[in-house]
Amino acid sequence: MEMAPALDRLLERVGAGERLSAAEIADLAATPDILALGMMADTVRRRLHGTRVTYLRVAGCAFDASFAECVPPAAREIRIGGAPGTLAVAVAAVRSARAIAGERTVSGFSWPDVEALAARGRTALPDALRELRAAGLDALAEVPIDGVTDLDAVVAVLAETGFERLRLTCAQAPPAERTALLLRAAAAQDRAGGIHVLNPLPTVVTSARPTTGYEDVKAVALARLAAPNIPTIQVDWLRYGPKLAQVALTFGADDLDNVTASDAAPDGHRRAPVQEVRRNIEAAALSPAERDGRFNVI
Amino acid sequence: MVERLIARAADDARITREQALALYRQAPTLALGRAADAIRARKHPGRIVTYIIDRNVNYTNVCLARCNFCAFYRPVGSAEGYVLGFEEIFRKIDDTVAVGGNQLLLQGGHNPDLPIDWYEDLFRAVKARYPAFRLHALSPPEVLHISRINRIPVPDVIARLVAAGLDSIPGGGAEILVDRVRRLLNCYSKASADEWLDVMRQAHRAGLRSTATMMYGSVETDEERVEHLFRLRDLQDETRGFTAFITWSYQPEHTERGGTEATGVEYLRTLALARLVLDNFDNLQASWVTQGGKVGQLSLAYGANDMGSVMIEENVVRAAGASYCMDEVEIVTNIEDAGFIPKRRNMHYEILGDPIFRERDLPRMLALGTARAEGDASLPEELQRYQARSRAGKQLRLAH
Repeated sequence: MEMAPALDRLLERVGAGERLSAAEIADLAATPDILALGMMADTVRRRLHGTRVTYLRVAGCAFDASFAECVPPAAREIRIGGAPGTLAVAVAAVRSARAIAGERTVSGFSWPDVEALAARGRTALPDALRELRAAGLDALAEVPIDGVTDLDAVVAVLAETGFERLRLTCAQAPPAERTALLLRAAAAQDRAGGIHVLNPLPTVVTSARPTTGYEDVKAVALARLAAPNIPTIQVDWLRYGPKLAQVALTFGADDLDNVTASDAAPDGHRRAPVQEVRRNIEAAALSPAERDGRFNVI
Repeated sequence: MVERLIARAADDARITREQALALYRQAPTLALGRAADAIRARKHPGRIVTYIIDRNVNYTNVCLARCNFCAFYRPVGSAEGYVLGFEEIFRKIDDTVAVGGNQLLLQGGHNPDLPIDWYEDLFRAVKARYPAFRLHALSPPEVLHISRINRIPVPDVIARLVAAGLDSIPGGGAEILVDRVRRLLNCYSKASADEWLDVMRQAHRAGLRSTATMMYGSVETDEERVEHLFRLRDLQDETRGFTAFITWSYQPEHTERGGTEATGVEYLRTLALARLVLDNFDNLQASWVTQGGKVGQLSLAYGANDMGSVMIEENVVRAAGASYCMDEVEIVTNIEDAGFIPKRRNMHYEILGDPIFRERDLPRMLALGTARAEGDASLPEELQRYQARSRAGKQLRLAH
């Protein structure tokens, strides 16, 4: 059960706390040996987080729906969905969400959506962001690395307009392009900081070409290895489902986003969404910890 | 200590029950996977991953057994009970042949109103129409059921079914081969652990090959899961009759027992452990039908060398809540994406060739079929020729 010697040496170096080079990460992207990749990523993950896995209960609500009706008490974050037609509508949606959020965070919209809103309203982008921030938006739900041309500029303008702890996502880049995106995120973090989360699995998945299990766990492990300078590697629980999300935790992920906030348990307490999440984390020999939208463990 | 065990297991040393238990409980998941993968690579050095095109047909859902983990069966006399007609089964075979299939996996409930001649006539009729077509049929509890209701010893049942056309026996109904568990699952009476194993022993002696299975994650302890694997390893030492092992998680939806399903990581650990313990089994299948395509594919890194069947039809797992589907295109895509070479096989794991869809145009299959259209309660013509034993069965035949 010898690993290929090259992988063995990489594992040793990662174990010694070394960061792999961009060229080494790109080489690793081609290996079919996902278990070796997973072991390296898990080493980094344990150094940063031990056995802890955080999860966030999110109430997703469309910008034009009633927030009062779709936000259960258990939610720790309200996430506004959909793409409003104008900045005024977006701001109004943020205000409505803010009104019932209390201490909880409000997130919403993607970077390209905000760009489009600003352009359509002939508003300068920083002004649009400030307006949303002033209305009570705590975070952009998605900053897709493959949806921005100049990541450094995006990180800078978000910092300048009061958005902290950025969450970078990948929209639909195929595996061949994704490694470069992950490296780009890590480089941007080196230059400016401010990125808290890297979520490497595509947010846009078509049923005609679903991702495979190998692709997914590889992307998670590569993200962890490419960006040891970004604290959290995240997987979307709702989109990827319990089985893949749980396995991803053994390949370098340390946070589960988008856990259903509903406490309804028609199938009994043990099958309530939050119990299901905790059970999956524990069955992977890890320790669950609920967090809020500001990354504080509750 | 666990590290040493992992190295030993991967180096082909036979492991003990205690070692297996320690590995299952303590080894890191990725390390357990690596050990299993090393054995897989040694047994299958060409990076070939196989699959079969066959159809999973359930000839009846009427069942005396009442296993409390099953959502598929209907009690005798239920208005939702069905028995497939010979013509219906022929149509299913036609559809299977059309997509390159060569076999039916034929299993069903323990229906008291189907005497042994029904099975014999069915098998003969299939073989007369489709001489090259294979019948991978009747798991050990079904063989036992036929033996009991017809008062014919198991070896004679097997001999008669083989004479009629039975080619091999599927390993269903094993659940966990520990009687304490079988009593709790209400499946002890359909077959005790010894009875299940003995049917397989008799089948192997008669020259049949079979598969072996394990349904884990219901009520068994870790020790009992390990015990199951060792009982299979022992019988395999004795007969060498098993071609493959398949494990899947208990599917709790709509069952009397209920509860929760074991997680994906537990599946991969169980699969890897099976690869370490079952050192005398060549083939381990991935259960994508219970784990989904993604964890199904990841199984190939945790000891599996076979993606199972395209199935075409599935009724039992679907009844308990899982409804994954993979056609040949998707199975092949997943095998290649994981860095393996896909090959079609038969039940004996002989390579039949490359993917069929690359040889000819096949329609994509986006959902698995069912035994029958919803609400179809028709009674097949030929059933009148066979004597019913149950009161409900007799009345039904009189009514038609």
